[in-house]
Amino acid sequence: EEEKSSEKRKAPWGRALATASPDRGGLTSAFPPARGSRGKMEEGKTYPQDGVLAYLETLEAQAHELALKQQEEEQQEKKLNRLKARVQELRARRDELRAKVELQEKKLVDKGVVTDPAQPSPQTVLEWKIKSIKAMLQIFHLTGISGKPTKQGVCFCISTAYEGTYLASYYLDILTKPEVRIQRHSVPVFIPLEQIAKKYLQTDLRRFLSVLWEHLNAYAGRRYQAEQLEERFSEHIEGTLQKNSLCNLLVFSYNVSRNGQSFPFTVRLLYGDLCGSLPTEATISCTPGAPASLAETAAAHSDAFRRLALHRAFRSLVDAKQSQ
Amino acid sequence: MDNSVHQVYEDEIQLLEEEIKLLAEKCEDIHQESTFFSDEEIQMAKKLFQRELQGEYKGHGSPSDLKSQLESLEGDLSFLMKLTGIQFTRHSKKTLEKCKHFYACCTEILSGNCQSLPFQLEFQLLEMQNKENASAAVTDLSIIMESGQHSELSKFVSSTEEHRNLLLFFRSLSSYAEWYEHRRCTFLHFK
Repeated sequence: EEEKSSEKRKAPWGRALATASPDRGGLTSAFPPARGSRGKMEEGKTYPQDGVLAYLETLEAQAHELALKQQEEEQQEKKLNRLKARVQELRARRDELRAKVELQEKKLVDKGVVTDPAQPSPQTVLEWKIKSIKAMLQIFHLTGISGKPTKQGVCFCISTAYEGTYLASYYLDILTKPEVRIQRHSVPVFIPLEQIAKKYLQTDLRRFLSVLWEHLNAYAGRRYQAEQLEERFSEHIEGTLQKNSLCNLLVFSYNVSRNGQSFPFTVRLLYGDLCGSLPTEATISCTPGAPASLAETAAAHSDAFRRLALHRAFRSLVDAKQSQ
Repeated sequence: MDNSVHQVYEDEIQLLEEEIKLLAEKCEDIHQESTFFSDEEIQMAKKLFQRELQGEYKGHGSPSDLKSQLESLEGDLSFLMKLTGIQFTRHSKKTLEKCKHFYACCTEILSGNCQSLPFQLEFQLLEMQNKENASAAVTDLSIIMESGQHSELSKFVSSTEEHRNLLLFFRSLSSYAEWYEHRRCTFLHFK
């Protein structure tokens, strides 16, 4: 019995069936379908069906698994081949482009210009011009005031910068009919937009934009200086820098040492001119009972804050302190 | 095991795709920046394009889009020049370095006039882009203005040059030019 079953195990699925039942076909005809019913059908008799059935089921399962595995392997291989082909394709394209760029750069060095030997098509010329104009429109963005006509008016973009660093841009959607008015904008609420509009919008659009730009740029510059101070000198500042939304009132503290002791200076900067980025007032206070000599230092510091950009003024103070 | 082999190929594919994109852009940039077509050539191209459009045009994309796109952009540019009084007569740009949309550095030469004041600039611009926002900074600036009638400008020009304040240069030049123009008109009026 055992020998026979081991033989069956080696033989494939179909043959095992044939050995078991040469006259009949499929599993269902050779063997009863359910184990439960078997008991009813043949009472008292002991068939080796349990073993064979289970064995055949195992074989079926194994074959199924094998088929699945083969399928998966085939798929993996197909995928791998696809990937390989794609890599080849991309490598070729990359090498082609590299050669093209090299050739272009060489031409540039030799002649200073990359001319097409053939007459360029009108399409190429127009495409070039389109790109060229787009680049010029970008430059207008760098000049501070740019805009684009819309169906109902104009959409303006006001750019701000502190020295060479460009900061936030602000937008205004302006309608021109029936009268010039602002439809929507991204100007912060603490900028006196309404006042400026009331004064200039109807009569002198250029002036309106120019004045608005002054306010926005100054605000952006003040904010930038305060942020630079916080970022670069955080370890020198005691506590946090306090500022209002318009960034025209700043309060912060730092320590000054004299005779081995440390004294806190509290600075209050007021930017009276909303279009200015330097404070009009720099008040420095110290704790009562501080040595009189500190008054001179305070005066010098106050002067620095009114003359130089905030982060630069502070830099000079820190440098002076360290050199003492 | 199979997956890791696939991963190696997939990683290479991604790298190659990025490299190809950068190279294609570089090709495009070099071509754009070293080519020049005069206004006459542009006009000619427009006419030829119109002819092709009316004839049998079998190409990719709608041909009429190019011409109308160009005219729309030309309109935008002319609007801006009229509004600001700033006209650019020459602009050339050279991309120095570009990296994966992270940053781009270029040199630009610009000449033009603001109302009646001619100027010439050369600057280096660094543009950076991360997930949240884009930023730009002028890393070098040199300004040439005719000394002569407008000597009061020279101090201001050297100061803005030193601080690389391109924006302030344009805004102040614009204000000055307008004031100057206004003064000139007033004087003429009284002559």
